[in-house]
Amino acid sequence: MKAEKERNGSGALPSASEKLAEVYELSMLYDFYGELLGDHKKQIFEDYILNDLSLAEIADNTGISRQGIHDIIKRCTKALRGYEDKLHLAEKFEGTKQLISEIRQISEEITQTKDVGRIGEVVARAERILQEL
Amino acid sequence: MAVKIRLKRMGQKKAPFYRVIVADSRSPRDGRFIAEIGTYDPTKEPTVFTVNEEEAKKWLSNGAQPTETVNRLFKKAGIVK
Repeated sequence: MKAEKERNGSGALPSASEKLAEVYELSMLYDFYGELLGDHKKQIFEDYILNDLSLAEIADNTGISRQGIHDIIKRCTKALRGYEDKLHLAEKFEGTKQLISEIRQISEEITQTKDVGRIGEVVARAERILQEL
Repeated sequence: MAVKIRLKRMGQKKAPFYRVIVADSRSPRDGRFIAEIGTYDPTKEPTVFTVNEEEAKKWLSNGAQPTETVNRLFKKAGIVK
């Protein structure tokens, strides 16, 4: 419980799904911008977000204090979110992924129903993807 | 020897997928683990968590420590209160 409070200075504890959503968010941001973190920070962030180690375990492995690890994770998180605010690569990726899965879904429905009138729905989504590239 | 239940990230870049594994707390980085007891797919809407409940309870009752993240998944699945 202590760790939760530390990570969330604003007061209210995050709910289970919020916390899990954060792990997902950071893991995606890491996939996009992880290479921009230094090697040392990268390894620590990776252990925390990808390998699910606790601050104390990472501290033990690296010889850095728990507080030190906590600060590094915080700084990495801030950096990754900063890159996303400027570049929006993850946001665009999610948008495109959503549209493509809709195209697939609609195409499958058209294949089954032979309702070619719905091709327009596919085209509209393809246009949106092209515009957002 | 402390035994932990933690997530292990698998999957390709930009398509995270996790295994729920039981591992010795001292061999965290080399990827060795004792058992795999479930999976977690956060890319689905809603997210998909599957777990062998019997195994999970067995490990918990033997003193295995779930990480904060795994504990939250267990809570959502009703395995722990």
